[in-house]
Amino acid sequence: MLSVGQLKTHHSFSVEFVISRCFAGFSRETSLRLCRRARRGRNKKQGARRSNNSASQPSVMLSRLIVVSVNSLKGCGPIGAGLVHASRSLHTSPQSLAPLPPLPEKGGKVRHGIFPEELFQLLYPKTGVTGPYMLGTGLILYMLSKEIYVINHETFAAASIGTAIIYGVKKFGPTVANLADKINEEKVAKAQEVKDVAISSLTQAIDDEKKEQWRVEGRSMLFDAKRNNVAMLLETNYRERLHMVTNEVKRRLDYQIALQNLHHRLEQEHMINWVEKNVISSITPQQEKESIAKCITDLKVLAKATQARAAA
Amino acid sequence: MASRRVALKAVDWLAFAERVPPNQRSMFNALKTRSDAISAKLASLPETPAAIDWSFYRSAVAKAGMVDEFEKKFKALQIPEPVDTQTSAINAQEAEANKSALAYVEASKARIAQYEEELTKFKNMIPFDQMTMDDLNDAFPETRLDKVKYPYWPHKPIADL
Repeated sequence: MLSVGQLKTHHSFSVEFVISRCFAGFSRETSLRLCRRARRGRNKKQGARRSNNSASQPSVMLSRLIVVSVNSLKGCGPIGAGLVHASRSLHTSPQSLAPLPPLPEKGGKVRHGIFPEELFQLLYPKTGVTGPYMLGTGLILYMLSKEIYVINHETFAAASIGTAIIYGVKKFGPTVANLADKINEEKVAKAQEVKDVAISSLTQAIDDEKKEQWRVEGRSMLFDAKRNNVAMLLETNYRERLHMVTNEVKRRLDYQIALQNLHHRLEQEHMINWVEKNVISSITPQQEKESIAKCITDLKVLAKATQARAAA
Repeated sequence: MASRRVALKAVDWLAFAERVPPNQRSMFNALKTRSDAISAKLASLPETPAAIDWSFYRSAVAKAGMVDEFEKKFKALQIPEPVDTQTSAINAQEAEANKSALAYVEASKARIAQYEEELTKFKNMIPFDQMTMDDLNDAFPETRLDKVKYPYWPHKPIADL
């Protein structure tokens, strides 16, 4: 294209810039859309169509590229103006970066496995219920009679293989579909479990941390207890000292008193013993006889007195 | 004799026991028994010793002046209060503990912030059945298949399947 050739010489920078931006956006979007489709195993079984959003993208993007290049060619002045043009039209693209809505759960409805329901709905107003069938029959007969489709060996091969395939799908389809769904659900359940475990463990960890912080707040109590212990020990020690002093003084005083008492007692006893000894040694035999005689007369008097009292 | 009455700060042992983590419970119990023993010993001693009856002794003891001399010396006696060597050490310990506690709380808060961030990430995730493989790889980077290291399907060692 002549315009492109011109562009290359004058505005190579702006066009390359534009191209790279466009293709970057294009590749990201394609990867998103394609990956989506890859998950829908069931659609493959029922032969659903793939919507052709991705197919339309390149044409849109390329046309935009041409628009941009034309804009800058129109300006055909300094490079600055072309760049401003290019950036402005890029920013006004309808492509949005919002997350796409989820895909529908089932594919488009089909009849007999291949013919979309929309065809039947399309023909219903004009030809009623049997319209599409008549159309199909007519088409087949037309192709057979005009030999547009020629019956040959391949026809029988196709018929038998088709029968076998349809029989297989009808018989084992649901089973295999359920199996695939189960496998998929197991994967999702595993991922879900990972997520749940992660959430619960995180909340638990947060609670534990908060609890530990609360525990740390009580650290002053430990030191209060320690200081109390020290104070109590000191007080105890002081009181013990007081008691000790008092007791010792008392003991000494009591000792003095006890000593005095002892002396007193010893003196008393010694004196008594000495007096007794002297008295006994001073008693002469004569005195002893006299005292015994006196005792006897005293006894006789006493005996008479008691006899008289007893008689009276 | 001046008797000291140091104000003892009441320690709420129940609240203290609540805050003790289970792995330090034995140390706490030892502390409590020791504290209880000390306070019991303190309570068993009367605050002031029994006063000495000087008049009785003066009349009883024969030696002249002995009791007076004793009394004079006794009254003049100043019993030294025991020196407190541990409180400063305890205060130093407390300051250090406060410092380390602050550091721990800061680290704990950082950890909580990190956990909260991960929690919001998990809570704001789209449900799994609306995710594409790209979304899954963004949410859980460990599911990303390394197509450079293993260029051929299944893009991971066979043992990992």
